[in-house]
Amino acid sequence: MTSIFEKLWRLSPAALVFKAILVAIAADALLLAFIFLRRTYRRRFFAKRDARVFEFRLQWDALISGKIPYETWRRKTFDRRIVEALALDAFEAAGPEESARLLKFMRASGLIQKRIFEAQNLKGWRRMRALVALGRTRAPEGVHALAEALRDGHLEVRLAALRGLGRTACPQAAEEILAWVGEAGLQVPALPLQSALIQCCTERPQLLLPFVKRAEGTLREILGRVLGEVATPALGFELLQFVDDEHEELRAAAARAMAQADSSLALDALAELAQDRTWFVRLRAIIGLGQLADPRALPTLLTALTDSNRLVRIRAAEALVQFRAEMVPIFRQVVQLRDRYGLHAYLTAIENGDLRGKLEAQLQNNTKIMGEQKGVLLKVLQTGAMPLKDRLTTQDVLNPAGLRQ
Amino acid sequence: MIRFLEISNHTFFWYYLASNLAYLLMLITALKTSAMHQRRLESHRLNWFKEMPMTPPITLIVPAHNEEASIRVNIRNLLKLDYPELEIIVVNDGSRDRTLEELCEEFRLRRLRAVYVAETKSAPVRGLYRSDVHSNLMVIDKVAAGNKADAINAGLNAATSPYVCIVDADSVLERDALLRIMVPILEDPKRVVAVGGIVRVLNGSELVEGQLRRVRMPRKSIEAIQVIEYLRAFLIGREAWAQGNMLTIISGAFGVFRTDLVRAIGGYRASSIGEDMDLVARLHRHMRRRGADYQVRFVPDPMCWTEAPSDLRSLARQRARWQKGLLDVLWSNRDMLFRSRYGRIGCFAFPYLWLFELFAPIMETLGIATIVLAAALNILSREFFLQFLIFGYAFATVISIGSVLQEEITYKRYNDWKDVVRLVSYCFFEHFPYRQLHMVWCLQGLWQYLLGDHQWKTVKRKGLVSATAE
Repeated sequence: MTSIFEKLWRLSPAALVFKAILVAIAADALLLAFIFLRRTYRRRFFAKRDARVFEFRLQWDALISGKIPYETWRRKTFDRRIVEALALDAFEAAGPEESARLLKFMRASGLIQKRIFEAQNLKGWRRMRALVALGRTRAPEGVHALAEALRDGHLEVRLAALRGLGRTACPQAAEEILAWVGEAGLQVPALPLQSALIQCCTERPQLLLPFVKRAEGTLREILGRVLGEVATPALGFELLQFVDDEHEELRAAAARAMAQADSSLALDALAELAQDRTWFVRLRAIIGLGQLADPRALPTLLTALTDSNRLVRIRAAEALVQFRAEMVPIFRQVVQLRDRYGLHAYLTAIENGDLRGKLEAQLQNNTKIMGEQKGVLLKVLQTGAMPLKDRLTTQDVLNPAGLRQ
Repeated sequence: MIRFLEISNHTFFWYYLASNLAYLLMLITALKTSAMHQRRLESHRLNWFKEMPMTPPITLIVPAHNEEASIRVNIRNLLKLDYPELEIIVVNDGSRDRTLEELCEEFRLRRLRAVYVAETKSAPVRGLYRSDVHSNLMVIDKVAAGNKADAINAGLNAATSPYVCIVDADSVLERDALLRIMVPILEDPKRVVAVGGIVRVLNGSELVEGQLRRVRMPRKSIEAIQVIEYLRAFLIGREAWAQGNMLTIISGAFGVFRTDLVRAIGGYRASSIGEDMDLVARLHRHMRRRGADYQVRFVPDPMCWTEAPSDLRSLARQRARWQKGLLDVLWSNRDMLFRSRYGRIGCFAFPYLWLFELFAPIMETLGIATIVLAAALNILSREFFLQFLIFGYAFATVISIGSVLQEEITYKRYNDWKDVVRLVSYCFFEHFPYRQLHMVWCLQGLWQYLLGDHQWKTVKRKGLVSATAE
């Protein structure tokens, strides 16, 4: 058996290894040449660009007011790109007045029309770039072109269109998105869709209701989530129908939304949702009850302190510490629950709110708690350790009336 | 004897060729993926993500052990990170210096009581602190367990966000690093369970108040060569593996994970030497067993800068530890090998790691020995052998220059011409004698592991303060 090197040598080394060496060296040389040429080109390009940007910046007001005729820069691609980039950057930081001025300039100079044309007629990355630019302007006339791009075959283009529509934040864009998901189903990942819809539906959340009712499966959950984010008290009765929905996301959305509703309407619904079998539904219900800040929610919040899910316990504790006037009776009830995890969650919330000193002082000054029991409670507060069972009475647990004794 | 040498020559030839071709394939994949990523970034205005109402909160876990010199600056910088909802948990891992005191003074920490539930195993916690000036900053003071994994687990127990990001206390993050690393998650939160960020070499760069002002090449050769290594490993290796959803390592210096999943697999394995790779391997195992449709992604944008060892002794220790960690993870997950249940991880990624990463130092050493012996015994053409060496050298430089090209056409962080010239020139110099030394360090690591030395040895670093002063 001959060596592999010998075999290759006999196969004609000049045709193999030698050529391989040459190819590798040539590849090295080409890579190096590419790097250095690219660097040289870019250095010159950016030097020229910087100089031009500086010139435009100096005459920016004259430029966007039209005192400098648009034709002077529009016909040169290099200049047009710079002006557009400057204007789009300005949009990001502009207030309503400045935005209106910039939009007027974009319209008058034809830049928006050009981007709409590109968004409707180009393909691939170039279309995507046009969509991003349109989104950055937040121009309502761009909504139609952006909506058309939602039907593009490429996911990236659809995402760019969706984000662009989200940026416009107008109900018209929401209608376009909802019509599209209604007809084509879920063609993009959930999160960008949710974000875009939240941005667009904030003004008119009722737009969502018919679509949530009609939609099925994952799409229904997503729309429900959006509804939960944008819901207003005005939607209170409409939202009650989702409390018993089969989709956990919808129930969670209802819980989220009920927090915005009138507390007389929301309390019972949220108390029911706080017993849900799904942890995040319970979580949303507890957060909602916390937001309502209604003392009638205390028994539910105290029960949630013993929840099997850590996040639910944390949120319940955070909600409980909001009731500053009733810290002592609440703390007493928490200790009487005899749940170590619940106690830890409550003490964490007390510490995070920097309320330990206040609670300690209130406990010491409280005349309604007997001496020994007061000592036990103070020790619990100081050590975080659960007291022995016989040192506590078990009365009044989960008794809201007791809290206000 | 001669027959043995001939067989081994055959083996090593094909091994070498396969290894280089695999890297070439990865280079081509990475170039394509990076180009796509750059295009995609054009439609991702990062500030849009920041304004998105659904952007999930993140808990940043920062294990710190004897970091008194730089902890103030580092945490101040982390607090300035651009992200809408951020919680920072610093875990003081039994520091024997003034790390905790420095934190207490700088951030006005007050002690919290009885709030810690150890759902994931970790060494005892001595105390918990919260800042009075930054409500999102928490410090856990715990007993040292001798490894970073334990400290991260303690942080994990206190984390309240759906995502955790693990950051080394001595790393420098760019202001928008969290937004960038979250992009894959924000795009597809249901499928993306973990994202690895790129780690770049900080040595030589200019820092002001712990923040990167200007990226420069390090002055020392040993550091400069590591720049090439990092570029090759991250911009080619990880980029390509992630493309096929086969990423088996997310750097311990910077990575984001879904909190519930990390908890579900029991957190970091404290006994592991390569805890970062171990976690990703167990994550793959967990998801594959459940038959879940999931992704572990990589983001190549420059984000995290870390100090690389600047002396041979420290570098040797680090590389030996990495090799030990690799062996430890591969050995403890050996049941995944060639099992269709674990998909491409078990059938492709792990076999590759065994063959071309773990065995590489052994194969290289044996290869060199047998080829030299064969040449001495006149059973191979010395002329051909020489030519083959030249080819190997030229081919290896193509891969290295390819990684520089990747940097150049995408992120271009070395702006100075001198730096680029140095970067390119080290692509030619790293093959001798650094590569051979590296091989020896890896062999040392394997040997130490086989002898039962599973200890985590510290690597000497200058620290950010000294880096700033340079």
